[in-house]
Amino acid sequence: MLLVGILPLLIGLVMAFLQARKEIREVNGASFQALAVETGRKLDLVIKEEEAKTRRITLDPEIIRILEERRDVLLDGDEATFKDQLDHEQEAWIKKDPKFLHPITQGPLAKILEGHYRGTISEKDLSFTVVTRSATRALYITDIMGRLMASIHTKVPYTNKEASWWKGAFNKGIGQTYLENVAFDNLLDTYTFSLSIPIMDSIGYQAIGVLHRAYDAKEFFAPSIDIIGFGKTGHVMLIDSQGIVLSCPLLPTGKRIEDARVIPLVTPRHPGWAPTPSDGHGGTETSIIGFTPLPSVSRITQQSTGTAWHMFVWQSSEELYGPIQNLFTWIAVFGAISFGLLITLGSISAGRIVTPIRRLQAAAKLIGKGELREPIVIKTGDEIEELADEVNRMNQQLESAFKQLKSHLASKTEEVQYLQESTTQILDSVPAPVIMLDSDEHIQYMNPASQDAFGLGNGAAEGKKLFEILKTDTKMRQKLQQEIQDIGQVKAESLSGRSTQEQQGASQLRDPLSPELPMAQNEDNRTLNINNRIYCYDWFPVKARPGENQRIGLVLRDTTEETRLHERLSQNEKLASLGVLTAGIGHELNNPLVGVIGFGEAILEETDTSQMKEFAKSIVERGKHMAAIIQDFTGQVRRQSYGRLSQVNLNEQLTQALKLVQLTEDIPSLDIQTDYQPIPPIQGQPDDIRQAFVNLIKNAVQAMKGGDSLFLGTQYTEGLVTITIRDSGRGIPKPFLNKVFDPFFTTKRQGEGAGLGLTIVRKTVTKYGGEIRVESTEGQGTTFLMTFPASYPPPSKEESP
Amino acid sequence: MRTSWQKVIFWGGPILLLLFITAGPLSSKERATEPSDFIPPERVADYIHAIIEADRTIYTRQVVGRMQEKGIVSAEEHWEQKNGLPLPAQFLLAAGRLVAEKERGIRYRLISLWPIKERNGPATDFERKGLNAVVKNPDQPHTGIVTSGKRRFFQALYADRAIAKACIDCHNTHPLSPKRDFKLNDVMGAIVITIPLNR
Repeated sequence: MLLVGILPLLIGLVMAFLQARKEIREVNGASFQALAVETGRKLDLVIKEEEAKTRRITLDPEIIRILEERRDVLLDGDEATFKDQLDHEQEAWIKKDPKFLHPITQGPLAKILEGHYRGTISEKDLSFTVVTRSATRALYITDIMGRLMASIHTKVPYTNKEASWWKGAFNKGIGQTYLENVAFDNLLDTYTFSLSIPIMDSIGYQAIGVLHRAYDAKEFFAPSIDIIGFGKTGHVMLIDSQGIVLSCPLLPTGKRIEDARVIPLVTPRHPGWAPTPSDGHGGTETSIIGFTPLPSVSRITQQSTGTAWHMFVWQSSEELYGPIQNLFTWIAVFGAISFGLLITLGSISAGRIVTPIRRLQAAAKLIGKGELREPIVIKTGDEIEELADEVNRMNQQLESAFKQLKSHLASKTEEVQYLQESTTQILDSVPAPVIMLDSDEHIQYMNPASQDAFGLGNGAAEGKKLFEILKTDTKMRQKLQQEIQDIGQVKAESLSGRSTQEQQGASQLRDPLSPELPMAQNEDNRTLNINNRIYCYDWFPVKARPGENQRIGLVLRDTTEETRLHERLSQNEKLASLGVLTAGIGHELNNPLVGVIGFGEAILEETDTSQMKEFAKSIVERGKHMAAIIQDFTGQVRRQSYGRLSQVNLNEQLTQALKLVQLTEDIPSLDIQTDYQPIPPIQGQPDDIRQAFVNLIKNAVQAMKGGDSLFLGTQYTEGLVTITIRDSGRGIPKPFLNKVFDPFFTTKRQGEGAGLGLTIVRKTVTKYGGEIRVESTEGQGTTFLMTFPASYPPPSKEESP
Repeated sequence: MRTSWQKVIFWGGPILLLLFITAGPLSSKERATEPSDFIPPERVADYIHAIIEADRTIYTRQVVGRMQEKGIVSAEEHWEQKNGLPLPAQFLLAAGRLVAEKERGIRYRLISLWPIKERNGPATDFERKGLNAVVKNPDQPHTGIVTSGKRRFFQALYADRAIAKACIDCHNTHPLSPKRDFKLNDVMGAIVITIPLNR
């Protein structure tokens, strides 16, 4: 953690130090360069001025005259003679022969030279400065052979023809100023540099001699260079482009800079500054050096020796970076002290804060495991102590809550066991067989009743598959498996809806007058034959444990007795029905028959022919009526015969029924209104349904005595087709409303109807899953409403007929 | 070691001079009929001047002019440092220096009354007078005999004109130039040819 704070601090410190170093380097580099340029320019001027003043001597007409004479002598004379003479003169010079020395050091030429040197024959502003004069170690003139002609002293060589400065300055008689680099002069016993200027003849045609001047390098440069210092080590120095020190306050003149890598960095042809790998003074630290070439002087030295002179400004790295290094050191020291303090104070804080918190942390872990037995004891007298007390309290509360939970859990477990046992007991005691299956049809539970039904011992079927114990044909087995699959997917609501439908089917089954529908029975017959007994079965979903598959229950009901009873009952009902029918026919036929017999007897006794015809007419009438009654009954019976079900369009059937009625009944003044909506077909037999409509329309027409208005309408809503037949007749009295559908109930007079029309209508409607209802107000009219389940949704309006 | 040419000059000079002094100037016709192998220094100077001028013109126009025009390299004062071409005046001076180094005796250089470098000013009164003369009368070279000790020399000054725009541009803008109103074809100085007459 401490590192997180210390590391950025350290990085920041180092970066600040490096940045400061960089800035110091750049600022100082620029300053060093400026100083080098300024010092270099000054020294350049000093040397140029010195050259100009020295050149003045070479323009002295007397010197030129003497040297021209000397030239003429030498050029016109014999070379061999001169050579002998040279050897002789050389010897005399070395021996310091006063006779020989005198003309050179005291002769007219020497006097002129001395005069110029002392400034006695020069114009005042053209005389040498004190510094340069005192730095002058030698000043002499040679002839065109390099032989000494005049000198201010004797510590000079007599012949100079082989000296590089002489060759350079004489330059084959063309003449060229020559500035020689610093070198140790044995005769003068010091480091010198020299300036040699050719003496040209009076017409500037050729060199007739050379003026040579040697300076003590240290003495010459020191006033310009050594005085410039800054700080403890900062100074200016002069080197040539070979790295030879010409002047330096620290290094000896003539010494080469040790580190050769530094030389090319500081001797380019332009001013600048550069960081160097060492300081050029023996130090190995990276250094900053400002530099500049001496422009005018370098041009001369380039021509003379091929080198250039460079000014060089330097300060030791220690001094240069001293302040920032000191600052860095102090910051580091104070940083270390702060760090120490931080650790010390941190440890104390840890003792007071962290340790109790760690104890609390450990205690919290124990509480989590429920293992904290002893209360935590912390006596810090602050918030931590309060926290510890709170934790103790919390622990106690948690313990008591935990105990309560345990006892609660025990009672719940008992309850669950009780529930489980009681469920098993209930199931065991249920007389109907109940079987539980998993989704893979494996039997999980069978109650004793089911074991008995399948003739299995206790636990014999557990783990087996359902169809291992339930033997059925393949078709039945597939049906059952499909049902098992469906039940796994079906939700509780849809299940309950289905069972209602099934109950309806069952109630239909028990109706003695309802005809059996073999096809429908095949599809919906939920019965199983097990060990020669008939069982009605039903599936029910059983809630599974979370993560487990759906369980399915199978409940069976033994309907063997019930089925047999029902068959017998059905037979009896049919017989009873036949009785009623026969009685009805008898009753219906009896009345006209009595009339027929009566009229027949009357004819036998009557003699009047016209009267007899009257009686015969009455007999025919009665006969026709009886034939009508018989037709009614036979039609009823025929229609009860089984036919195939088909899709029936009720709109069509209603239209045909109306036409039939219009043919048979005399209804010219009847106002007929129809409203046929597009409706889907229903399933049934068209003849049956048409006959039912004929009966209803005929009833309505008869109720209105052929007058008033009749309304016929069809409509489709929510899967149901509704048929409305409304008349504006006299209506049905309230006490009769409940009886209109009973067999043989009629309001018509004797002989007008058998009272079976509406009974047949209701049978027909209910046979095809429909309902019929009657609404009537006495004196205003009657409305019959029929509803049928639609086979499928209605066609759109455009498609309707 | 003296060369044969030097010997010609050495002996020829005094003979010619003697003829000049004793017989006075001779007409060209008369001189042509004289069976002589010697060429007068005026003519020698003329020959040399023609060569110098032709060389310098070729250099100025065909070398410097073309190089600068194509942007390849330009002539400038500090040509050695800047890796350029020498200025035409520098070319002439350097060539003169090279001739001097051959030690044939003949020397020439370019001088002016308004030199950028002091050393290229007149070295003697003769030269000064000659410069003034050629400025006034550029078509006529200024000639004469000068002496140095016992040495005698023939000197001829030929007017040197501004033959290219570069010449006047440099002299009119150089900070050390004493005269800054040169125009093309102005006499800017003179080529001085020095021929030793005795040796």
